[in-house]
Amino acid sequence: MLAAPIGVWLLFFFVAPFLLIVWYSFGEKPSLYETHGNDVFTLQRYADAVTPAFLSTFGRTLQISLLGTVLCLLIAFPMAYWMAVKLPSRYQGIALGLVLVPYWTNFLVRTLGWQITLSPSSFVADISRSLGWGTPDLLYTAGAVQLGVVYNYLPLMILPLYVALERMDPRLLEASRDLGGNAFAGFRRITVPLAVPGIGAGLLLVFVPLMGDYVTPAVLGGAAGSMIGQQVAQQFTIAQNWALGSAMAIILMLAILAVVVLFGVLFKIVGLIVSRFEHVAVIEDAPGVSA
Amino acid sequence: MTAVAEVVSDALPVPGAERKPLGRRRRIDPANALLAVWGVLGFLFLFFPVLVIVAYSTNTGRLLQSYQGFGFNAYVDALSNSAITDAVTVSLYVAVFSALVSAVLGSLAGVAMARRAGKAWIGWMTALLGLVLVTPEIVNGVSLLPWFVTLGTDLGLTPVNSGLVRLIIANSLFSCAVVTFIVRARMAGLSQSLEEAAADLGAPPVRRFLDITFPLMRPAVISGTLLAFTLSLDNTVLSSFVSTADATPWPVYVFASVRSTLRPSIAAMSTLMLLLTLVALALVALVLFRARKVTGDGAGLAATLAGGGGGVGGN
Repeated sequence: MLAAPIGVWLLFFFVAPFLLIVWYSFGEKPSLYETHGNDVFTLQRYADAVTPAFLSTFGRTLQISLLGTVLCLLIAFPMAYWMAVKLPSRYQGIALGLVLVPYWTNFLVRTLGWQITLSPSSFVADISRSLGWGTPDLLYTAGAVQLGVVYNYLPLMILPLYVALERMDPRLLEASRDLGGNAFAGFRRITVPLAVPGIGAGLLLVFVPLMGDYVTPAVLGGAAGSMIGQQVAQQFTIAQNWALGSAMAIILMLAILAVVVLFGVLFKIVGLIVSRFEHVAVIEDAPGVSA
Repeated sequence: MTAVAEVVSDALPVPGAERKPLGRRRRIDPANALLAVWGVLGFLFLFFPVLVIVAYSTNTGRLLQSYQGFGFNAYVDALSNSAITDAVTVSLYVAVFSALVSAVLGSLAGVAMARRAGKAWIGWMTALLGLVLVTPEIVNGVSLLPWFVTLGTDLGLTPVNSGLVRLIIANSLFSCAVVTFIVRARMAGLSQSLEEAAADLGAPPVRRFLDITFPLMRPAVISGTLLAFTLSLDNTVLSSFVSTADATPWPVYVFASVRSTLRPSIAAMSTLMLLLTLVALALVALVLFRARKVTGDGAGLAATLAGGGGGVGGN
């Protein structure tokens, strides 16, 4: 009963609007002065959406997102591990606050900080010129977007990893050492399995907003680094073709869901294989340790 | 038998715990040193663009990107530019109200979901909230824009025509799911026996909620509301779709400037807002710290904030 208000709220302002654009996507843009019309029922907008330009932007978006998510994991894991396991617990609150402080400066403003840094008139360019390397071509490239998204979504990876690792009992690692395991064995058999829920949550939290991001590429990407979110937005704000824009948004949504589901299934399968393999290994190792 | 096992398991960690700090003091483990360096570099990376913005807020030139000289003109410009101050006011107003809406909706749902675990509707509710979390903002934005137009002009629901109302509704959607998960994570670990005891002693439901349930969920509600407030303050994509000309929030103002000209006043206002959030953060830390002292609750600032991350991550 207590959950009824949120249910109504979300049905009215989340589910209903989504169904509305599903409905629009089956329509058309009837004339220059109308944004959408549902006199026809057609899948033509989906066919219109899938142009070569759309697909190449989509491919680049997927590439930036997947690479960005993996980079976030690789940067965040040692950081979160250091914070949760190595730092004394009285400093952990401060460290966590330090992760959040930049995150609480506006997303767009932080991206502007990178834009200033990468621009040809910045101090980085000045240093490069004074060293005789010439003006570096940094801004408005796919690389700039990659840097920007890794930066912007890194805290979303650090936080769940920290939470998962912080719950780990350090005595487990000591037990592993006492039983003759080296540091790597302890890491592989104790730390990583315990961090798996945090890794899963972090990958999800980074990948999903990254796929839909259109602020970072707009500030750092220029034409070379444009992402799919910008194309969807353009149909609504500039081209005023809501039917086509809706179809694009739904394709994006379905693609994200597909990747998330695929990833979830893979995660489960890998987990099953690893747990079976590890289970056997533990039994086989046992006599070796006692010997 | 069990007593012996307990004694043994209690006694075992002690020698290990004593040995560890000694071993650490004697020689610095290269792996640990590497981890610490990595961690510090990570923090530098996170702070780098923020420091750049703070540094460039003292730029006396006309363009943000090209640093001319040191001065505080930009701060004067920022505070005397009504477009900027209005935008910040709109943002703060929207953030406060959408955080309140999310806190109320999310807390109620979180308690209900933790207390009625196992009911069929919980699965549906979790799926719906999960869908809210995995829907990219851009899809939310493009679907809310025509929906608000439909409600406001076609169905005659005039409040929805107000830019502020639109922003508050749009910003509350993601946040209320976040608050729900945080509160549920907190309440799921607590037993109901205190409330049952209060009921046995004759406390009416309202009294039970105010005296027992609410104090138990307070850390989760505070961290959830705080998260909702900042998520709203930070929101650019959704806001740029639903905002109207009469209510332009700060991020949308900045985004519009990106397309035209960026002035140092934007960096100045951002620096002021950073200071504001730092003060707010310090206040919350103080409140939580004192709450921990008073109640003897083990959940400190770290645990509360981590509960925030865990709530989101728990999805």
